[in-house]
Amino acid sequence: MSVHQWISRGLPAALSLLLALPAGAQSFRVQCPTSTITHKAANNNAEPLYLGPTYTPPTTPGTAADYTTGFHSNAVNGAIKCQQIAGGDGYASMADGTQTYMFSFGPLSGLADIANGLPGTQFPSVFNTSATSLAPGDPATTNDPAPGTFSYNGAVGLTPEVVKLETIYDISEGCTASLASCTGVTPNTVTVILNTPSPFNLNDLVVVSGTGSPPAGYDGTWPVSAVNIPNTQFSAGPGQGASQAFQFLAVDNSVSPARAITGLPEITASSTATAGSLAELNGHVDPRQIMDVGVMNGNIPAPLMAIDEDDEFFLTLTNVGMIMRPDLFEQHTVHFHGYPNASAFYDGVPDASVAINIGGSFTYYYLAPDAGTYFWHCHITPPEHLQMGMVGQLYVRPRQNRWSGYLFDGLLAQQGDLRTACNSASDILCSNPLPAGGTSKAGAQNDGKTKYAYNDGDGSTSYDVEYPLQIHGFDPNFHFVGMTFNPEGLTDMKDKYFLLNGRSYPDTVTPGPMETPSTDGVKHFSQPLPSIINIPVGKKALLRISDLDVTEYQTLASLGIPMKVIGYNAKLLRDQAGNNLYYNTNSITLAGGESLDVILDATGYTAGQKFFLYTPNLDHLSNDAENFGGLMTEINITN
Amino acid sequence: MNSLIMATASSKGRLLSLLATAATLLSATAAKAAAPGITGPTFNLNATDAYITQPDGQMVYSWGYGCSSAPTGFAPALNAAGFCSTMQIPGPTLIVTQGQTVTVTLTNNLPAAAGNTSILFPGFTATATGGVNGLLTKEAAPGGTVTYSFVATTPGTRAYYSGTQADLQVEMGLYGAVIVLPSSVPAVCGTLGSTTGLPTTNPGGNAKARAAAGEGEFRLATAAYSHPQACYDREYIFQFSEMDPNIHAQALAQVNAAKALAQPAKDCTPGAAGCSLNVPTEPYRPAYFMINGRSMPDDMDPNYAPQYLHQPYNGNPHMHPGELTLLRIVGQGRWQHPFHEHGNHVRVLARDGNLILSQTDSTKLAGPLLFTTTTTPGMAMDGIFYFTGKGLNWDMYAHNPASNDGQAKLTCTPDANGYNTAVPGVLNYFEWCQDHNKPLEVAPFGDVGGGGPATLPDPALFANGAWYGGSPYMGPNATTRATGCSAGSAAGSCGTTGTTSPSGTIANSPSTEAGYAFMWHSHNEREITTNNVFPGGMLMMMLVDSREFVIDESN
Repeated sequence: MSVHQWISRGLPAALSLLLALPAGAQSFRVQCPTSTITHKAANNNAEPLYLGPTYTPPTTPGTAADYTTGFHSNAVNGAIKCQQIAGGDGYASMADGTQTYMFSFGPLSGLADIANGLPGTQFPSVFNTSATSLAPGDPATTNDPAPGTFSYNGAVGLTPEVVKLETIYDISEGCTASLASCTGVTPNTVTVILNTPSPFNLNDLVVVSGTGSPPAGYDGTWPVSAVNIPNTQFSAGPGQGASQAFQFLAVDNSVSPARAITGLPEITASSTATAGSLAELNGHVDPRQIMDVGVMNGNIPAPLMAIDEDDEFFLTLTNVGMIMRPDLFEQHTVHFHGYPNASAFYDGVPDASVAINIGGSFTYYYLAPDAGTYFWHCHITPPEHLQMGMVGQLYVRPRQNRWSGYLFDGLLAQQGDLRTACNSASDILCSNPLPAGGTSKAGAQNDGKTKYAYNDGDGSTSYDVEYPLQIHGFDPNFHFVGMTFNPEGLTDMKDKYFLLNGRSYPDTVTPGPMETPSTDGVKHFSQPLPSIINIPVGKKALLRISDLDVTEYQTLASLGIPMKVIGYNAKLLRDQAGNNLYYNTNSITLAGGESLDVILDATGYTAGQKFFLYTPNLDHLSNDAENFGGLMTEINITN
Repeated sequence: MNSLIMATASSKGRLLSLLATAATLLSATAAKAAAPGITGPTFNLNATDAYITQPDGQMVYSWGYGCSSAPTGFAPALNAAGFCSTMQIPGPTLIVTQGQTVTVTLTNNLPAAAGNTSILFPGFTATATGGVNGLLTKEAAPGGTVTYSFVATTPGTRAYYSGTQADLQVEMGLYGAVIVLPSSVPAVCGTLGSTTGLPTTNPGGNAKARAAAGEGEFRLATAAYSHPQACYDREYIFQFSEMDPNIHAQALAQVNAAKALAQPAKDCTPGAAGCSLNVPTEPYRPAYFMINGRSMPDDMDPNYAPQYLHQPYNGNPHMHPGELTLLRIVGQGRWQHPFHEHGNHVRVLARDGNLILSQTDSTKLAGPLLFTTTTTPGMAMDGIFYFTGKGLNWDMYAHNPASNDGQAKLTCTPDANGYNTAVPGVLNYFEWCQDHNKPLEVAPFGDVGGGGPATLPDPALFANGAWYGGSPYMGPNATTRATGCSAGSAAGSCGTTGTTSPSGTIANSPSTEAGYAFMWHSHNEREITTNNVFPGGMLMMMLVDSREFVIDESN
């Protein structure tokens, strides 16, 4: 580095310290609502069948509308999905045995699934659970001596709310002498007067117990209906007694219609009655668990995400800091690469939005975009954070998977909702018009077993098994100076390790997660995803290929079995007249920032055949100094 | 030294905002882009040398095409401050109309030691007259001229570049673009400056909205091709190239040596036939990565800014929601670059002026939809981009019928495609009505009511970006409402409901613009640097502005 560079980098850095915002208190948290205004049902823990449009256009054109207009509550599609990731650092093992330092993301939800090569994305019922105990480095720490024993998939750190428990001095129903005023009090209004000021707020759920009057008595869980109740039990000063009292309505919901509970006797100076808050899981976390599991737990590729069209996705990024670089106060973000009509706020570009400081969490929110193979990465100082390893995979599965019957009719049904329709006459950016020549009640049907890459309407993107494959490259010199407190040269960045899912051959065909001993002495799964492609005879495999190399274009070739390219940049390859533009090839070339969908059809092959997926950029078939390995994996035809 | 290292490394993330501050201070008015150039069909061009500027302070010795005499005119019409230097990078964008016979007379005013030079016009059948014979075309000898003539047979965007010792001459800067406007424009696309505009499909009447907002017309035409699917509302050109400063330094050294000592450059006499520089162009180690001849943040300064005498064109796109924006993307230099457009996909209309249509229905497009448009040297592509926010599942204008602020209570009347396009003058023109009034957060944020799915945490956990509008919402009104006290704020609500401080949002003011900023950049992220310094290089911010903000591209 020249002196001139020191000045240009150092001076603004010093100035920027003056602009730094004050750091807030430590505030990790997660967010995964069980229901939303889009998914109002209490249970959104499974993908319902696609039944038709959620919204239909107003029947009277020219009238004002909002999100309630034309809404069909009986056709609410999709579910809620949540995931948590840590932004920090870690180590990965290169195929020549070198341990490489990374800036990286690690899983903080779906730990068991990710260790099994699956997405860490979970329904609320799985995400919103609390782990009893997690060891530093889990799941590797638990799984290593006893493979497969680690099974927790919920949010790391999620912990029940601290219970506020108060003793009750007096509890009464209806208008009694304990009340200073009976205005608005109904026969089933219960007034609770505590021995100390009440910590409960309006609408809080309060558990009353120890009154000795169940069933259909005071004991139970009730929403607070009023607070600050003037009373005669405590009236030492203005308002003093009122702050100790709250009210709720005693209602028996076990019968239909619900019945007001009346006639309960007043209890005064009880020695056993208490009112307490619930031990809710409401997004508060225990930071010890997050630090135990999240620190030095970086993965390459970063945790896999998968959602379905119509899902609401809540992704919480928790910045645990980089232990190996305590000098850095690096923020992180998540850029959902390729999302159509992304909002600038959730786009993850720190310059155009907000970046998440160490010690903080931020929840990104998206309604799932059109089906396709996307990918994600940190967008802070991209040449550095991407090269250092903050890259991951993300795909959206189509509505068509959830349609029962003729696929053409499923796509036809999607035309009924302007959000999901594709009318190429009126939208130049829609990608999957109805297939040319298709007709209703004819053609391919969804048998409930086959999956599809896109809403093709003709079954042409069907597959049986899918493999996400991410191309990346590491420059070991850059990683070394990144670990050793030296300024990194950007112009001369040169990859020496060529990675498929974070591994070089032959590690790409090592089953199961790979572990890397780390400087904290704890086991960590560093590269959870092998790239072994197994295709049963006569079946089809979908390869979801993305590239986040930051220095050069890479080519991936199939030695033998042809590649059928069906999608490019997360869009179906189809012209606006509905003709499929798929093509067969034996090699594809991608830049960093591109994705492509390929189908390998094992029809006509025999079990036991082995093919190679490798790069004909022959200098990329190496692992640094080893002239063997690199960007290569194996395709096996199986029974 | 350690403390310097630490300070440097710890604050890289904020460097961008500070460079942006510098950029903003240089240009008092917001700088926009359009697709500026010179009109013909007769062009008198010049090739000569000069120094171009880079944001690290380096002046790089370069060669470029320029105007040898005043051009016929500048376009777009309102781009009044245009100039055409004797040398510029990229060369002047030549704007002609389909069917015209284009005549380009090139004078070689490069240093004699550089030898001959020429221009290739790929995609056209050019006839060369005068000059001397060269390998690919006729060339202009040092001090001499050559004239190229061709008929602009088909519309579209194409590259032009040197066909003489091209490995060196293109590296030195001898390239530019030709834009051919269609001779006939489909009626559905409307006419320039009128409000006839587009039908409510495809996807809206943006010309009426533009007129209602009092915005100028900055298009060169209303369609890129004679095809109804090629209508557009706004246009930008992006030429990608890279430079290895060592090659430029060696060229300068040989030129100076030849001048000072009359020393032969390649064992030959400067100016003699076949004599040129002997500069190795391999190994190639570019350190500057430019869009329209400038590196970020210089590319976001205005067109024709006086500090860039030899780099007049910028890259600073703005658009309103729903506007069909034509991207003219040209690969120059010698490397491919994956140009990633944040915010939406791009529908590729054409490659090198060849419209890509369906094989079975020529009224339909067949070009791919891309979020990363790879630029390839010598190749140009035209594509259409737009942003509407459709499908976000929350109201990006923060409408709230319970608000005291009238602007929060605007209505949304869906057209056949679901967008609010009935009244051209409204602030939420082209709003996606299915999300109208739909709140984002559970916890209230400013004056914007809760009830939605997402909760925004304590703003103290964030670092604000220079182009952050100050809130999740688009437009100064929504942002002001969400982050502070507006005229209609409920009593007592100011400053008590949790706000995101807009401090640091210097390039996209929360009170005047508050657009949605999207980074458009090379995804070979190594190339968003300037000579080892991030940020820089092939990077710009694109802004989607609400209709409150008037987009003025007259500079």
